[in-house]
Amino acid sequence: MVKESIINILIDEERCTGCILCKLWCSYIHHKIFNPLKANLEIKDRYGLAPKIIFLDTCIKCGQCVQHCLYGALRLKEEDN
Amino acid sequence: MELKGYTGNILNVNLTDNKITVRKQNVDDIKHFIGGLGINTKIAAELIKPNIDPLSPENYLIIGVGPLVGTITPGSSRTVGTSKFPATGAIAYSCGSMSFGFQLKNAGFDHVIISGKADKPVYLLILDNNIDLIDAKEIWGQDIVESTHFLQKKHNNCGVIAIGQAGENLVKSSLALIDRTSTFGRGGLGAVMGSKNLKAIAVKGTLGVSIANPKKFNELFSNLLERIKNYPQRESWHQLGMMRSLPVGMLLLDSGQKKKARQCNERFYLRKLKKRRIACPSCPMGDKDILQLQEGSNSGLLNYTSSIINPALMFTLEDLINFDEAIKGYDIVNRYGLDSLTITSLLKFCTILYEKGILTEENTGIEWKTDYNTLIKLIEIITYRKEFGNLLADGWKKLAEAYNSIENEMLTVKGLDIIFEPRILRLGTMEFEQVVNPKGAHVASGGSPTYIGAGSSIEKFNIHFSRMGIPKSAISRIFTPPLEEMVVNIGRLTRYSEDWYTVLTSVGLCARAQMNRFYGLESTTDFYNAITGYNMQPEDLRIAAERTWNLIKLLNMKEGFSRKDDKFPKEWFNPLKFGDKILKFQDFFGQTIITPEIANQLLDDYYDERGWDKITGIPTQAKIRELGLEKFQFINN
Ligand code: SF4
Ligand code: SF4
Ligand code: SF4
Repeated sequence: MVKESIINILIDEERCTGCILCKLWCSYIHHKIFNPLKANLEIKDRYGLAPKIIFLDTCIKCGQCVQHCLYGALRLKEEDN
Repeated sequence: MELKGYTGNILNVNLTDNKITVRKQNVDDIKHFIGGLGINTKIAAELIKPNIDPLSPENYLIIGVGPLVGTITPGSSRTVGTSKFPATGAIAYSCGSMSFGFQLKNAGFDHVIISGKADKPVYLLILDNNIDLIDAKEIWGQDIVESTHFLQKKHNNCGVIAIGQAGENLVKSSLALIDRTSTFGRGGLGAVMGSKNLKAIAVKGTLGVSIANPKKFNELFSNLLERIKNYPQRESWHQLGMMRSLPVGMLLLDSGQKKKARQCNERFYLRKLKKRRIACPSCPMGDKDILQLQEGSNSGLLNYTSSIINPALMFTLEDLINFDEAIKGYDIVNRYGLDSLTITSLLKFCTILYEKGILTEENTGIEWKTDYNTLIKLIEIITYRKEFGNLLADGWKKLAEAYNSIENEMLTVKGLDIIFEPRILRLGTMEFEQVVNPKGAHVASGGSPTYIGAGSSIEKFNIHFSRMGIPKSAISRIFTPPLEEMVVNIGRLTRYSEDWYTVLTSVGLCARAQMNRFYGLESTTDFYNAITGYNMQPEDLRIAAERTWNLIKLLNMKEGFSRKDDKFPKEWFNPLKFGDKILKFQDFFGQTIITPEIANQLLDDYYDERGWDKITGIPTQAKIRELGLEKFQFINN
């Protein structure tokens, strides 16, 4: 199921591989360090059967993570039209 | 100076006296051996005494991750394990991926050196600076999936290297799994852990990894990411994973197993097997599978696989009828921590010996067939060392000693079963690598355009040669094979495949073709410099790799290996009946039959290209001096 998230970002958890490229980039771009614990989104159960992608309250909706998800689990809304 | 990319810390764990210490990396070692495989090898050379029993407390298990691990550099999640391996007696390495290396780096360590033997089963827990040996009574005796689940639940989704019952029972071909998915330690690393009473290593880090030159890194990274995004086969890799890589369905078809081939095609895989794709941290080309059987008596069974090729190769056992039998068998193998490739080869081989009357029901207790029941029986008796399984658990060498007439028929090198059969696949660098690799039949370190550019033309070869950093001066030698019609000299080329593999494995990058293809020696050096702040030249990395490989060779000379052990399996020179075809050992382009003389010439050429003595296989004095390895040289008395 594709869910709508924060403005402009669609979440498609079935396509998530748990690669955490999104989290690594978010932490790097906002905190200058590669540290998934500092990212503003969470991938719960990333190697489980049903991973969950959750944007945290700290997220500033910059959309950078989307550019780094190569699996289509995060997409910009325009891309779907 | 504060290191970047590297944590600069090496963790020492002595299991015998429960002592845990941390020491700093030596910057000289970094310059000479880079990291990961390179520094692991240097540590092994300093610590592992020659001729010890691999399953004794004197052996070491050295785990290392390269400087790129923990960053977003695509495919940088490699973990390397170095030890003396019980299946072969060689001092060697093995690699795995998933989240362990990433977590280790985040916990603040580049390497972990484990020595001694705990007095009761334990697991090693690393949570940043909090490092502890914890009683493993709840998981000792449990399989890898159960143990990993237990540890990840207890320790907040940590990265886990765990062994199963096979490792606990010191089966010489046992391995460990990382995060219950990635195989780690073909050749008996599982038994090494078992012999130390070490059930698992669990690690979780919170520290993060910072880099030296973000501006340069951003430029390199965004260019690379763009290339990966534009790679036309990316979608299909995401969809099919390793299914793309070896056409097992075609193999089955060619071998006359038509019905089975239908279960090994893409449609079947997508509709009936694949549940989800997962990827190692930082990997945009993920190829790991969560499989789930949709029907049959094992319907619902879930299996995490490092490569779909492994269960698919198990399916080539002639009397397995449905793919779900192979998946079920493979799942048990994984849980116990056996090696699916070795189990498959053993079952094939024992069945042949049974047909010849060498093995009988009386002397083994088994009516050998390649069917499901015999497969399960074999797995059980090896894992628990029951009856005839006790001999098989001691590996190919012991089997050959017990039945000395069979050695010539075994498809093994240095005590490890071959993975790629050149009579089917022809002689590329991966097939040749199985003969010369110091650890025994290993293929990954022989990756080259003979695979990456499958269906290759000479033009494609040249593109890959410059990508891998092969010196221009070597090209004409590589194109001078023993016979002109062979076009390429696989012996000479293999040397450079090994060097390239060693670069990737030392910095921490994945060597699988779909990831490896995006890197070259130059771009890898650029990433290395941007991350660490060093100013290395591509040639420095290549030489460090060469130094590492020569050191591995020297260590194994001390263990008694020499040219006599780089032996082509005799069987390769006999025709192979394959379905209704008779296959012969051919060169890469299928232009000529490889005879023992040509094979020997290729070995000579490989040693020559390496700067090793052709008669003994030992690195020459000149080579040792050139690489600064005098301290480790082998003196033959
Ligand atoms: S939108 Fe920006 S801040 Fe929010 S999770 Fe993505 S990268 Fe981080
Ligand atoms: S959302 Fe995309 S980038 Fe993030 S872990 Fe999932 S697949 Fe990877
Ligand atoms: S290609 Fe496979 S093994 Fe390599 S990093 Fe990606 S998921 Fe891991």
